[in-house]
Amino acid sequence: MIALVWLGVAVAGGLGAVARFVVDSAVASRRGRDFPYGTLVVNLSGAIILGFLTGLALGSNAALVAGTGVVGAYTTFSTWMFETERLTEERETVNAMTNLVLALILGVAAAALGKAIGASL
Amino acid sequence: MNEDCLKLTCYFGERHRSAQGFVADELLDIYERHEIAASIMLRGIEGFGLKHHLRSDRSLSLSEDLPAVTVAVDTRARIEKALEEVKRIPGVGLVTLERALLVRGDVHALQLPETHHEATKLTIYLGRQERSYRVPAHVAACDLLHRRGVAGATVLLGVDGTARGRRARAEFFSRNTDVPTMVIAVGDGQAIGRVLPELGGLLHDPLISVERVRICKRDGELLERPHRLPGADEHGMALWQKLSIFASEAAHFRGQPLHRAVTRRLRTTGASGVTTIRGIWGYHGGHAPHGDRAFRVVRHVPTLTIAVDTPERIAEIFPIIDEVTRDRGLVTVEMVPALRARSGKEERGGFRLAHHPF
Repeated sequence: MIALVWLGVAVAGGLGAVARFVVDSAVASRRGRDFPYGTLVVNLSGAIILGFLTGLALGSNAALVAGTGVVGAYTTFSTWMFETERLTEERETVNAMTNLVLALILGVAAAALGKAIGASL
Repeated sequence: MNEDCLKLTCYFGERHRSAQGFVADELLDIYERHEIAASIMLRGIEGFGLKHHLRSDRSLSLSEDLPAVTVAVDTRARIEKALEEVKRIPGVGLVTLERALLVRGDVHALQLPETHHEATKLTIYLGRQERSYRVPAHVAACDLLHRRGVAGATVLLGVDGTARGRRARAEFFSRNTDVPTMVIAVGDGQAIGRVLPELGGLLHDPLISVERVRICKRDGELLERPHRLPGADEHGMALWQKLSIFASEAAHFRGQPLHRAVTRRLRTTGASGVTTIRGIWGYHGGHAPHGDRAFRVVRHVPTLTIAVDTPERIAEIFPIIDEVTRDRGLVTVEMVPALRARSGKEERGGFRLAHHPF
């Protein structure tokens, strides 16, 4: 059983990573030339989904596969930090700060929203 | 010194593949087989080609397939032989041929031909760890060029290449001593003529190419507009021009790094292609040579943005460059006598060299 859950997390993680790549590239190639919208969209949508899953109160194995596996691989902290550093490197302080603050505020709001939707079902 | 040399430059995507593997590896394998005197592969940070897809290291997802550039210089015969193989690689977007002189070994008694007296571009090929009197050779060379009043010099780090016919490729666990770097310096012909023998004394075994160039702008001052070349020479061979913008990561235009502003504006005006390469050291104005500083997040390294196009389009885009470089940057223009651009099935130009005295 445990091996099956681990396998589930691995496969779900792979799917999450692919989904991130697809969403990020789609958003970035349309909009994200000067501001990393791709990563922002990924992280916000991930926060809504994780909030939603928590709201649903799934069983522990299902939560592990969906939460840690899919959403864990889908969202990305490192890219958010990396892209902020890239903006700072080129003296785009306003964009860098916006990238940090916006993701934080909207992220917490997105998680809360997701949770409310999940709980109301 | 060899008068009749050619410089072969290829612009392509870093991850472009052919049947043999990555295009970059295949090109350098060709240069190794032909024992090319000086060749180097450079990785770009931003650019677009005929299809106008922007690639940028700005965000992780757009940095999938960044632009790459290879430059190879040798005698005309040798480059033409290598070109026969380069031509056949499908993944190379843009190939240009330019005339150059190659200076090797003893440079003490160098007299530049008359045509180089307008302004001259020097490219010095060094090893990554090469030193000159205990200082990195590229730093020593930039200091010398700066002191002698040469308008600008930019050091670009190669990741693969050949020097004097021998291949040197960067590896992760290695000091990469002989991996090529190049110093591109631009200045008036007389200043360059004076500095060449000194470079000969400074460097252990100099390998330098010399080309003709026009300096259009420096530090916001408009010196000369690009030559108004006809679309073709008297035999009907098409002519092209190459604009180079030397700037710094720290230079901004309306809240954007100067080189990013150039790329974005040229993309919306329909230029055929632009490539930006980030250097490691250099100067391009009144200031002293500089690079990044330790423990500083903001970068200070130089950047080089290249656009190759028809003379007509170069004349159209020059006002845009002129505006973006209103305070800073060094802008030069060169004639490109042969070029082939390719994107999918669309193909322009060819490899016969045009002749156009100007």
